[in-house]
Amino acid sequence: MNKPAGLTKLFSISAVVLLLFLLPLIIGSQYIMYVLIWLGISIALTSSLRVISLSGLLSIGHGGLTMIGAYTSALLVMKVGLSSWFALILGGVAAGGFTCLIGFPFVRLKGMYFSMVTMFMTEVILMVSEQWKSLTGGSAGIMNIPRPDPIKIAGIIDIDFKSYTDLYYLILILVIVSLIVFYLIEHSRIGRSWQAISRDDLLAESVGINVAAYKVLGFTIGSFFAGVLGAFYSQFYNVITPSEFGFFFSIYILVYMIVGGRRSFIGPVIGCILLLLIPELIGGLGGYRPFIFVAILMAVLYTLPDGMASLPTRLKYTDLGQWFIERFAHA
Amino acid sequence: MLEQSIFNGLMSSGIYVLIAMGLTLVLSILGIVQLAHGEIYMLGAYGVYFLSTMAGLHFLPALLVSMAATGLLGIVLEKIFFRPFRSDPERAVIVAIGLILFLQQAVFLAVGGVPKSLPNPFSGVINVGGIVIPMERLIIVLGALVFIAVLFLLINKTKMGQAMMAVSQDRDSASLYGINIDRTSSFAMFLGCFLAAAAGGLVGSITSVFPGMGGVALIKGIAVIILGGLGSITGAVIGGFIIGMIDGIIPVFFSTQVSSVTGFVIIIVILILRPRGLLGHE
Amino acid sequence: MLEIKGLTKNFGGLCAVNNFDMTVEKGEFVGLIGPNGAGKSTVFNLVTGFIKPSKGKIIFEDHDITGKSPHAIAKYGIVRTFQANRIFADFTVLQDVWAACHLTNKTGLWEGIFRTSGARKKEQYTLEHAQEILKFTNLESMSQTFAQNLPHGYKRILGIAIALAAQPKLLILDEPLSGMNSEEVAEASNLISRIWKGKTTILLIEHNMRAAMSLCKRLVVINFGEKMAEGLPDEIVRNQEVIKAYLGVNINLA
Repeated sequence: MNKPAGLTKLFSISAVVLLLFLLPLIIGSQYIMYVLIWLGISIALTSSLRVISLSGLLSIGHGGLTMIGAYTSALLVMKVGLSSWFALILGGVAAGGFTCLIGFPFVRLKGMYFSMVTMFMTEVILMVSEQWKSLTGGSAGIMNIPRPDPIKIAGIIDIDFKSYTDLYYLILILVIVSLIVFYLIEHSRIGRSWQAISRDDLLAESVGINVAAYKVLGFTIGSFFAGVLGAFYSQFYNVITPSEFGFFFSIYILVYMIVGGRRSFIGPVIGCILLLLIPELIGGLGGYRPFIFVAILMAVLYTLPDGMASLPTRLKYTDLGQWFIERFAHA
Repeated sequence: MLEQSIFNGLMSSGIYVLIAMGLTLVLSILGIVQLAHGEIYMLGAYGVYFLSTMAGLHFLPALLVSMAATGLLGIVLEKIFFRPFRSDPERAVIVAIGLILFLQQAVFLAVGGVPKSLPNPFSGVINVGGIVIPMERLIIVLGALVFIAVLFLLINKTKMGQAMMAVSQDRDSASLYGINIDRTSSFAMFLGCFLAAAAGGLVGSITSVFPGMGGVALIKGIAVIILGGLGSITGAVIGGFIIGMIDGIIPVFFSTQVSSVTGFVIIIVILILRPRGLLGHE
Repeated sequence: MLEIKGLTKNFGGLCAVNNFDMTVEKGEFVGLIGPNGAGKSTVFNLVTGFIKPSKGKIIFEDHDITGKSPHAIAKYGIVRTFQANRIFADFTVLQDVWAACHLTNKTGLWEGIFRTSGARKKEQYTLEHAQEILKFTNLESMSQTFAQNLPHGYKRILGIAIALAAQPKLLILDEPLSGMNSEEVAEASNLISRIWKGKTTILLIEHNMRAAMSLCKRLVVINFGEKMAEGLPDEIVRNQEVIKAYLGVNINLA
């Protein structure tokens, strides 16, 4: 336990969090808030996909889970009149519950096959919502989903979530909470079991680890958060249609995760910033945007197998890196 | 009415089998989830379009040339994009995703998103025992049967076919027996893309050709493989047949709502009872 | 301690194990030997839960463990090693053994996530347990080496250490000496002997006849999925059928 290093880390993280909370006061633009909300949603979704991957499961079906959360929340708020805050949690419960129900037979499948099945499940979920028009509105989806319920505490707080700034704070809190939860779980006994399972699941089984149960647990936790974020998304974007949660949704999240670095905790953050934020802020690329995306993707895949997050470690071992360390780290 | 729907079912089966066989080959021999298989299918269709409009070829020669060209393109793609990631299925999936985005966008920018139609020389109908069958659809069924037969002969009677089977079962041991993994992978990729292009060209001839047409093909292909079992060509044939017949027959008797879901529901049921598919190993 | 009754496994048309009976008493050191393809691995994949039997019963300390899953069987106290020598890649040796201490570490879910002092004490205990095992298996000096960088012989010993971490009552070793040179065989045999003297019951599956005979106190011979003979090593060596079965595949009994 390295006390000084641990403290510096905590200090710098707190500084970043503080900055993020103060950001709307520095940057007034609603457009930037909008972009940052998208970034927040993506970061949290990608991190939840990463949680699933910790036990070795590569899912191409995250879109379906997000969609379950979005539709559950929208329907509960609009048809049952439930509070949006309950709907947020229940969106997660629905997605997590779904995974728990169907997860057991699927987690036994070999890696590639499991990925294909998750992709297939998303298609099924999409198809059900397209066909069950009476419940889900079919391909047209659901419109006019209200923003989150206002928070009013007499005299002190009056948030009506009409501006993007309010939503920004909400997603910021959601992202922080989910990252904290993911971090704690990953560094607990559960996380260590996942580490063993992802390296060799037969060996893990032979030393008493219930591999199937742990895999379903990871899958369920990741799904729960995907559902919560889907619910948030429905309350933020106010319109949801089946097609936007399909194959491309799932693969984009997967790409953010792998490009950022699946092994590293902040990999998802890096991946989203690199592939989402930077192109968005540069803007004006039009039809060539997918090519830039693919170019970055390929560049990282071919040069940094462990994703962008491994860049510092990689650089450390180059000659240039060694020179740098000698010059500055011994000051 | 029933006979018509049975025939439509056969036609769909033919297409699904072609897609799924190609995908299975690439899946089990290269060991990669080749998500860009749908884009290969799309390229095959566009190949026929260009060859028939620019080079003025008739449909059948255009189709065959397009199939061969797509197969060769596949070999190039395999060498550049999939071989470096042979032992890394995770990153191979991402590469395939990159290819999907690239190919779709490239075609879209090059030719636009307006659907094109392919010339179809097989007009008219044929009357078999009272059933009226459009020629163009009959060609699809026959074409599919021919390719299925050719593939089975290839696998069982040729050395390369046997090599492919060996690699699909155990790549490491196969190399110990002197099988050239690189060559076998190239050949499997060629075949896989060849079949995908066939399916694309045939489907394009009766519907239309547009940049996003690969999406549905990929999903159907994966559904068939999940049903028929991973790694099994016979499974791909059986699975394709079952799903094709369901797609052909159910809409006639039930609403379209029910029909789209039926195929999927059956697959889910099979998945839960027998997760590795009807004929899958392990 | 372990009772196998009428164990049968059919793979399609092939009968891999046919009506196999065997017992292992507590504290014994038993060897299961037989020519290649005789069914040794199948038997013990069946016992450890990695394959489900077609027929028969497996009873361990009065518990019926037939067809149970491997992790449950490990909890009962049967732990195995793997012939293909499985280790957790890109972990250090210490991390490998620590990861295998899953059964030792009884931290509850809640305390684990919230890092209570109780959890930390248990983690410390688990770490010490892992270090003790490294000491016992003479791997202590390599505790910071990455597992995949170990020389082959030491990797196998690591495999045994991993199994030990799960605190087995019955330890089943799957051809632990294969691919080792004579020096490594000696060291591994010494380790296995010490494990047995530490009151762990051992079932050894081994192809290397010489080692099996010198280590095991009793041998069971399997061929074509059926029990062929059983008895003391001296008796087995003189058993004509056994000699025939082995000489048929060129094994030196001397």
